[in-house]
Amino acid sequence: MAIRSILCIEDDRFIGEMYVRSLRREGYDVDWMVDGSDGLVAARNKVYDLILLDIMLPEKRGSEILHALRGNGKNLIPNTKIIVMTNFDQDVESRLAMEHDVDAYLIKAEITPRKLLEIVAKLQ
Amino acid sequence: MAVKKSSNPMIKHYWPRYRRKAVILTIAMQFILTAFVGGAIIIAGFDSTSFEFWIVLLAIIAASLGLNVFLILSLLTPLRDLTAALTHVAGEPSTVIPPNPNAPYFEKDGFKPLLQYLYASAASAGEVTDTKGEAPTEALSRALNQTSAGIVVLDAEGAIIYANKKAPISTEMDGKIKLDLLFARENEFETWVANCRANAVHAEKTWQRVADKIVGEEGRRIFDIAATYEKGSAAEVVLVALDQTTSYQPEDDELDFIAFAAHELRGPITVIRGYLDVLAMEASDNITPDQDELLKRLVVSSNRLSGYINNILNASRFDRRHLRVHLAEDTLAGVYETINDDMQLRASSQNRLLTVSIPDDLPPIAADRSSLSEVMGNLIDNAIKYSNEGGTIKVMAVQDGSYVKMLVEDHGIGMPSSVIGNLFHKFYRSHRSRETVGGTGIGLYISKAIVESHGGTIGVKSIEGEGSIFTFTVPTYESVKDKLQANDFTNTGLINNGSGWIKNHSMYKG
Repeated sequence: MAIRSILCIEDDRFIGEMYVRSLRREGYDVDWMVDGSDGLVAARNKVYDLILLDIMLPEKRGSEILHALRGNGKNLIPNTKIIVMTNFDQDVESRLAMEHDVDAYLIKAEITPRKLLEIVAKLQ
Repeated sequence: MAVKKSSNPMIKHYWPRYRRKAVILTIAMQFILTAFVGGAIIIAGFDSTSFEFWIVLLAIIAASLGLNVFLILSLLTPLRDLTAALTHVAGEPSTVIPPNPNAPYFEKDGFKPLLQYLYASAASAGEVTDTKGEAPTEALSRALNQTSAGIVVLDAEGAIIYANKKAPISTEMDGKIKLDLLFARENEFETWVANCRANAVHAEKTWQRVADKIVGEEGRRIFDIAATYEKGSAAEVVLVALDQTTSYQPEDDELDFIAFAAHELRGPITVIRGYLDVLAMEASDNITPDQDELLKRLVVSSNRLSGYINNILNASRFDRRHLRVHLAEDTLAGVYETINDDMQLRASSQNRLLTVSIPDDLPPIAADRSSLSEVMGNLIDNAIKYSNEGGTIKVMAVQDGSYVKMLVEDHGIGMPSSVIGNLFHKFYRSHRSRETVGGTGIGLYISKAIVESHGGTIGVKSIEGEGSIFTFTVPTYESVKDKLQANDFTNTGLINNGSGWIKNHSMYKG
């Protein structure tokens, strides 16, 4: 199943626009939410093929959103892939736990939009 | 002239010799005095031939001789007693009974305290020479606790049998005393001791910049360590820890602060690199080759900046024992591929030629892709920095037993062998590189840490003026597969780091 629709939850305007712009240019259908609560609502209301999830977010942290969507052994969004994108240095245990629940865990400072496009293209 | 035969002079021989001299002198003096008196009497008009005259003179001589000899001998009694006491204290064989300080006449004439002091000081001095390393005397132990150096003594079983006040030790729950030192590699000291036990009679080793706690903990001290090993000694290993906190701590604080700041730089650097990428994608058709070159320089510089930020963050994580590599089956070529574009761009924009030949048939390795690519990036970046415009940098790889070895060769300024020993130390920068090339002295330090946490080694060969070859090895996947699977693909089993390496708290917020 090729990825068409993407939800980007990112509070930094520069970074968000950078990803959204290059993804849209590549032909993806992108919605962008700038806080955690809106992001969770959007993720529940519409089935996306992919969610780009920041960790440090206002209102609700990325880890809480992930827990709400995929915690406690159930998966509310079985047809959606999740990529965590962060510059936050969290401890190894939390990181490993998160990596287990998502399809990729990326450090934003190490990823350019082109690399992101490559990674998304490979997520089939 | 005949050489006088002299046996060891002894204290006890002094007294009879001196007594003889004193008596002879007294008698001689007596004869002279009597001669004077006799002469005076004759001059005064006495008949020197009369029998009575000689009788009186002889009587005077006899009486005063007896009195004076008695007098001199009683005046010299203290000297006799002192000599006898010293003879006893010195342990010379003697039949003379040493004077008893508690005798009533010594008390009476005030000689008692003198004797008491002599015997007491001899007794305490004797204790020092008598101990054979079992326990320091009170005075010595006070001195050892007063010194600012930490001293730890281990016996042949490796147990700590002595530690002074400043020693970096702590007592565990079960009452066992253990060394509180964080060597660069876990168990480094224990390994050295074990090696000495197996192979050495006498050995010495020093370590620099060894802390007792991880960065950020209260009361952290940083030491230079000197250890000696002596086989068969009751004190088999003696470790001296010189507290160098005041000279090392500021640098660590600085790194700590910079790491904090560097973390904040991640946001802006993400934006800069990202928009440069967007610009390159969107504007590539509309810019001149000139402008394209400018854009490339921006990309190269922001990538380098990003690399330095990663070095600082990783060094800080390593110092806090947070750095963990997650090893997976990979290939050296695959890891290099992730940075190839960046490296080629970096080399070409600085007029270096970068040639890479990594054979296809190398076995897979166990690698943490992003950390290992940072090591490659650091070595290539250094090769560019320390070589000349137009120079060639060669990246090669070979299999070396159960390891894969990567070589980065430049024909740049090279370095003298005196520099190499310190090259991988934290904050180390050679005298010349300080003057000519920028840098933090962190890149090689963290590269070493990363390579060693893969279970490999890093090294360099260099000829001053001709260039350097940096090499590192990482184990093949096959050789470490079992250990990795047993440890959930972390490096735990590889570097044998035991517990306590990872602390469960996050260091940065935001």
